[in-house]
Amino acid sequence: MTPLLNAFACLLALGCASFLWRKGSSPYRNGALLAGFLLLFSVFTYFGASDTVVTDPSLEHYPFRMLALCLCFSTTSLGIYRRRYLVLAQALWCWVELFGAIALYYRGCDAACVRIAALAGITFGSTFLSQISREMEFCLMVFWMAVWVFF
Amino acid sequence: MFRYLMLAGLALFLPGLFALGYAVLEGPSAWMTDSRTFWGTPIALFVFWIGLAHAGTLLSAIFLALGIKLDRRTALIAELSTLVSLVFAGIFPLMHLGVVENFYMVAPFLDARGNFANVRSPLVWDFCCIVVYALLSLLFFTTHLKARVVPALDRYCKPMAWLLFPLVLWVHTVVSLDFATTFVPEWRGAFFPVYFIVGAILSGLALVNLLICAEGYRVRLMERLQLITSWILCAIWIWDLLFKGYFCTSAFIFAVLLPQFRMVAVIRESRAGRIFFSLSILLGLFLERFYLVSPLAGVPGEPGFGLVDLGLLAFSLGGFMMLFYAARSLLNESMEGAGTYFGEVDGSDMANVEESERSREKTHGLTLSYIQPWSSEEYKTLRLPLACGFSVALLFVLWVCAQLPFVGSPYENVEVILVNVLPLSYPVIAFVAALVLACKAVWVDKAVELGRNSYVALAVALVALAVLAGMFYAGGAASRPDAVIAEAPQYGSEIVDSAHVQFVWNARCAQCHGVDGRFNDKFIREYYPVPQKLDVARIDSLGLDSLVNVVLDGRVNMNPYRGRLTESEARALVVYMRSLAEAP
Repeated sequence: MTPLLNAFACLLALGCASFLWRKGSSPYRNGALLAGFLLLFSVFTYFGASDTVVTDPSLEHYPFRMLALCLCFSTTSLGIYRRRYLVLAQALWCWVELFGAIALYYRGCDAACVRIAALAGITFGSTFLSQISREMEFCLMVFWMAVWVFF
Repeated sequence: MFRYLMLAGLALFLPGLFALGYAVLEGPSAWMTDSRTFWGTPIALFVFWIGLAHAGTLLSAIFLALGIKLDRRTALIAELSTLVSLVFAGIFPLMHLGVVENFYMVAPFLDARGNFANVRSPLVWDFCCIVVYALLSLLFFTTHLKARVVPALDRYCKPMAWLLFPLVLWVHTVVSLDFATTFVPEWRGAFFPVYFIVGAILSGLALVNLLICAEGYRVRLMERLQLITSWILCAIWIWDLLFKGYFCTSAFIFAVLLPQFRMVAVIRESRAGRIFFSLSILLGLFLERFYLVSPLAGVPGEPGFGLVDLGLLAFSLGGFMMLFYAARSLLNESMEGAGTYFGEVDGSDMANVEESERSREKTHGLTLSYIQPWSSEEYKTLRLPLACGFSVALLFVLWVCAQLPFVGSPYENVEVILVNVLPLSYPVIAFVAALVLACKAVWVDKAVELGRNSYVALAVALVALAVLAGMFYAGGAASRPDAVIAEAPQYGSEIVDSAHVQFVWNARCAQCHGVDGRFNDKFIREYYPVPQKLDVARIDSLGLDSLVNVVLDGRVNMNPYRGRLTESEARALVVYMRSLAEAP
């Protein structure tokens, strides 16, 4: 995946996130959107990979990383229980990265330790947030983008 | 009705028990094993049942933690199904080991003979996760069950749910790593943790929907979730197809395509239709696991699904029905009560449940509301137990890393890094945190009054645990008792031809020692303590007779084959093994 497409993946996740959890939306709509986004991210990864997905193991869980990022972004639009779902979405992302890294490590790939540490740190730190202001949301989104693009 | 279901279970269980006995006695050659992955029916059944074991925690603990209301009866049915599924999920990996009596070797501690479990193996991770998950699920179920009689216990349900929430995901993640850490082409997938969790959630939902349909009522929320999860699983399968070109059509038809008929109101509103959807999903997911574990199944020339495999399936299904409905009828009275529904449970009913729960909380003065972060209440109920858990997990990791490279150990050169020990960390954290929470409930908050009988039971349990730990530490017998050996049939020394020796080697020995005698590295490194290499010099130093005795009577992880191999065959096998060691 080229750095440009990697950055575009982040934007794609951000764009998709705005459709989730809209007020009054049914579980069917949200479920179908989640499945649809995963499909979209899979197709994006498949056709956007500079190398084939078969030969680049780091792309194996790329669509799931995109989905986790999308869920993180989507929590900022929640009306209630924002801290709870923000922590859970970040934990999910951390989870995908950590266990993906363990699986890849056993097959000879290096683990993205900095990314995992950054996500673990922000997830733990987020549990202490009591009020999540608009400014704090913006900071978190910038942090997630930085983790995605640079680490 | 419970009685008829138990009898149906018994009818499946008895022939299944016969198949299980035969399979344990005969070893891995009895069941269908994929010649490339060396895994077969027991692992497929293990993955299937461990997926079903997620129902209870998903529907009860996770819903409770996230504040989604579920009626008490459904929650308890789900939790009970978890416990019973875990019993059967736990049996199959032991069978797969081949050396059932040495199962304790997967427990991550040192024994008196200097053996230390291979902590790099996902099977060791599985053992820890499943044991802790079973204990915590039992504690959660008991707390939930008793909370109706002892309302003070209610306040511990939510912290317990928060401990179980990551644990249930951790368990299935570790199960997925059994596959994802290997080099089998079909199992490549750093996304397997998510994939397995979604599959487990779907199968768990299908099981609980089936159980409550059998009792004559429904919960629409779970039916909706079942449908939504099938869409997400379908998207994951499409990624698998794009990525590997692998697609299990039969699983897709049963687990994804057929359940979409739920959108047709006539089918959805019929009880038979709902039972059909759940059964269809369960069948689809069983087929998916079966083909995942044994990708060569059905290929001409490969062993197929035989009578023993069918018997093992019948054993687990029948055993589940029997045990579940026995426990269900035994606990029937405790599982009923306020918030229990005997008919349709839908959105309007849930509003009544919430109302009744709120009035109950007011009556008993319970504070189940949002706990302020970093408050002393949150510190005492969640962060303190977690901090204790983290400390113990940290000590455990340091201890493991200090033990392995000890001088003189056969594992002196085994490299263990944090990645190998990390999957063991959360089960340790959750176990210690739950223990701290339980101690706080009993001795600090005095939420439960332990009577004399309870203290006696606790003391007996602790003594039994200590005895068991001592037995594990001492290690099992390295060879069969003399009496058993004396009773074993004696055979003459007939001549064994080379084609037969090769056949026996491939059938009995290659699973661990490899077809070329240089170890099946995947199998050995993942599932047993790393053995010593048998090169020509070592074979000669041990001598032919000594090795024949090892083949016949077993030693440490080596299965005894007396009664299943003749002495001539054993002798010929040792000679064949030496010829393999000599080969360049």
